[in-house]
Order: sequence, then structure tokens, then C-alpha cells
Amino acid sequence: MSVDLIMNGLQQGLVLAIIAYGIMIPFRFLDFADLTADGAYPLGGAICAVCMSGGVHPAVAIPYSMICAGAMGVCTALIHLKLRVNSMLAGIILSTMAYSVNLRIMGKPNIALFDCDGLFGANIVDNMLIICALLACCVVPFAIFLRTDFGLRFRAVGLNQSLAKQRGISIDRYTIFGLFIACAIFGLAGSLIVQLQSYMDVGIGVGILIHGLASLMIGEAFIGNFTLNRQLLAPLLGALVYQQVQGVALSLGLAPSDLKFFTGSIVLLVIALKRTEVKMPG
Amino acid sequence: MLQINNVTKSFSGIFEPVLKEINLSLAEGAFCTVIGANGSGKSTLMKIISGEHFADSGEIRKNGDVAQVVQDVNRGTIPSMTMLENIALSSTKTPRFSFYKRCKNDVMSKIKSLNIGLEKFIDQPLSVLSGGQRQTIATLMALNSGGKILLLDEHTSALDPKMQLLLMEYTAKSARELGLTTLMITHNMEDAVKYGDRLIMMHKGRIVADMKGREKSQLRIQSLLEMFHKFEDQSLLRDGGENVR
Repeated sequence: MSVDLIMNGLQQGLVLAIIAYGIMIPFRFLDFADLTADGAYPLGGAICAVCMSGGVHPAVAIPYSMICAGAMGVCTALIHLKLRVNSMLAGIILSTMAYSVNLRIMGKPNIALFDCDGLFGANIVDNMLIICALLACCVVPFAIFLRTDFGLRFRAVGLNQSLAKQRGISIDRYTIFGLFIACAIFGLAGSLIVQLQSYMDVGIGVGILIHGLASLMIGEAFIGNFTLNRQLLAPLLGALVYQQVQGVALSLGLAPSDLKFFTGSIVLLVIALKRTEVKMPG
Repeated sequence: MLQINNVTKSFSGIFEPVLKEINLSLAEGAFCTVIGANGSGKSTLMKIISGEHFADSGEIRKNGDVAQVVQDVNRGTIPSMTMLENIALSSTKTPRFSFYKRCKNDVMSKIKSLNIGLEKFIDQPLSVLSGGQRQTIATLMALNSGGKILLLDEHTSALDPKMQLLLMEYTAKSARELGLTTLMITHNMEDAVKYGDRLIMMHKGRIVADMKGREKSQLRIQSLLEMFHKFEDQSLLRDGGENVR
């Protein structure tokens, strides 16, 4: 494995960590199996690509992407809460609809941004610093929020909904808020990847959820998630490890077309290991 | 104050109502124990008071929020959260954008007042504690929630005798000090006689006995048991006859 491959893996891993954080919020804090990532991530990318090709500054395009993707999360939450649609189904419906919306926004299946100036340049270390700064901008305020009264209530919604209701906590309000934040994070990741690649394709979101989930689960398998700090560190660690493992697999001759099978296998392996751990005596 | 007026409740698929025109009035600070066989409607009554279920007819008047401790400790606490987080969650009525750790000293003094050495677990998840210790924390959470009405649904039934006594004493003392209107379901006749200033017995969705004042204070376990068995035996004879038919 070359240094370039490792550095590239780290850069991709940092973007994947952002996605893993977005997945962690509904899955781990709200007990909400949200599949909107497959739609919100390309939506963020599409908005960013259209903004940049329209002359908007790349830094300004990011909040636009985040707000639009976040709105999609609010829609998923409302479909689940108001129409009583299963959370997974609500995410699938929205992601399917998002494909058409993204095509409408872009006007064509892909947009090349090679002529536009993005946030990223040729220096991979600088790029990583920018991604780290943006990642910190999302994770640090969220980590602080989780330690406030509101954050405590937010966590209670996912951990014991009946107790949360008893304490007068509005499940709807916190679910909508949580999904907005999660999908806004997907929007951020989508816009970053588009700026890194200088290219947007309407199909970039296919299977992104499983990559993020694999990262989250690998991170949790390594350091556990029984404290708040460990839970918050797991997506970052998991994404970096996962991306390096993928790099190793590719350098050993795995065909890129087999990557999704490889990812699914990793998720199943982690689940199987967790189950074995539970069954073990003592 | 808790006032229950003509509350009736049925569940679909069950012909007979689970609660039939229940009337009960408890003054502020009253402690009432509720006994009755399984299926007599005790827990349904609690769930209607807490708002978990709705009555088909009748009304419930309360002078404040309801705090509840249930038998299943996993329902009343969050095992993966720390003891501090659980208690902070229950004691903050109006959330603020400030760190919940600000109330650590206050929580610590409350845990110390239990006098069972739980303070060293304040930053540990509740899952590391025993069932009895967790139930103690659940009770502490309910007592600190700011509710004016305390509902206890067999909250000591899963505990060993020593822990039962400790938790019952603590609950009764705290409820009295805080002036909470308390309704406690129990199958323990000793507790039913010992605690509270009023006792009601439920049978097939109705209140069949209501003892307060001198009648309650002079009540003996033996006579309570006899009364309990009298209703159950009558019911068995009646149901047995119906089954034969």
C-alpha cells in the first residue's frame, strides 16, 4: 500500500466519518432507523454543484446544501410521525423521491465542476485540515448540546420513549430536530465530496448508508459505545479504519465492483461478532 | 389532591369492563394503599391516572403532575445512562441550555441521604447496579420529579426483604415530607396495613372496601387477609358455576 493510497484513504475516511455521524444521530440517539441518507447525501451534492456552477462561493454553497438536506430529514420525520409510516419506509420513500428532485435540480444526471474553484486544492494535508475543521464544527457543538438539559432529553427519546413521554418530553419535536441535524450532516458530506471530486453524479448516494453504518459499527466494535465520549468517537475511528481496510482490500486485488459486497460482509461480520459476544457465558 | 369520578374503562375483546364507575377522592398529602387480586383493575386505574390510558367515561382531577414508579425497573429508568443523568433527567422540569452536571452536588446529597452507599456509582451507568439499587434510583427519580401525585405500582415486589423495607421506609418518609398525594399498589398485606392512612381493596373493577382513619389504623393483617379471601372465594364459586354451565 502506497503513502498516497493511505493519505487518500484518510481523506475519504474523514468525509465518511461525517456520514457516519449523520447515521449515528437517528440510529443511536433517537432509536429511529433512518434511511434518508441515500437521498439527503446526493441532494447536498446536487445543491452544491448547482450553486458552484452558478458562481456561488463554495463555502456559501455548503450551508445551502445542509439546509436543503436537513429539510429532507424534517420531511422524513413528519411522514413517520404524522402519517404513522414506518421510519425505514419513510426514508425509502423520501430517498426515491429525492432521486427525481436531484435530477430536476441538476437538470442533467451529472455536472462537472473542473472549471469552478472549490474549497479543496492539490495538497491533500490542507484538504484534510479543512474537512477536520468542518467535522469539528458539526461534532463539537453537538457533543456540547448532548451534555445540556436539552441533550439529556434528546438522548432519553431514543433510549426510553415511554419514560421520556412521562417526563413531558415532546418526542415529535426532538425527532424532527434530530433528523434535521442528521440530514444536514449528510448534506455537508455530499457537498464536500462533490468539491473534492469536482464532479457530481446523481447516483453518488447509492449504498452510502451502508458505508456509513459499517463505519459506525466498526468504530463501536473497537471502542464500544457505553459512554457518550466513546459513542462520539466511534464514527470517526470506524470510518478511518474502514476506509483503510477498503484500501488494503483494493490493493490486494479486490475489484472495485465488489466493494459493496465487501462492505455488506463487514457489517454482517460485526453483527455476528456482537451476537457471539452476547452468547458467550459470563 | 386526586379526585376520580365515575371512571369506567373497557378493553376491546373483553366483555366485562376492567373498571366500573370508580370513585375516589384523596386529599393533598394522603397516602392510600391499593390491594386486590390480579386482574382487579389496580394497574389500569394507575395507568388512567398517569395518562397512559384514557377512561371510557368519568373524569380525573389532579392538582399537579404525576410521578410514577413501576414494577419493571427498565421502564422507569434508562439503564445505559449514568445515575446522575437519570436523576438529572427527572429533576429538571424546565430544561436549560446549560450543562446538566451543574446539579451533581444536589444529586449527590440526595443519593447520600439514602444511606446505602450508592454515591460511588454516580457516574456509572445504571446497568451496573442490582435490580434493587436501580429501583431505589427509580423511586428517587419519581420523588424528585416535582410531581404532586405519586403512583407506586408494586415498586418493591422484585426486591429482597431487606431492600423492600428500606425502600418502603424511604418512600413513605419522603412522600410525607414532600406532601405528595400517594397511591400505592401492593400485594404485600403487611405493607398495606403498615403504610398509609387509607386502604382500598379492588375486586373485579370495583372498590369493594375503603378503610381510613381509625378503621385503617386498627386494621390487622389477619382480618385483611380474611376479607381478601372472602371476595376471591365468592368470585371463584361464581366463576366455577359459570364454567360448569
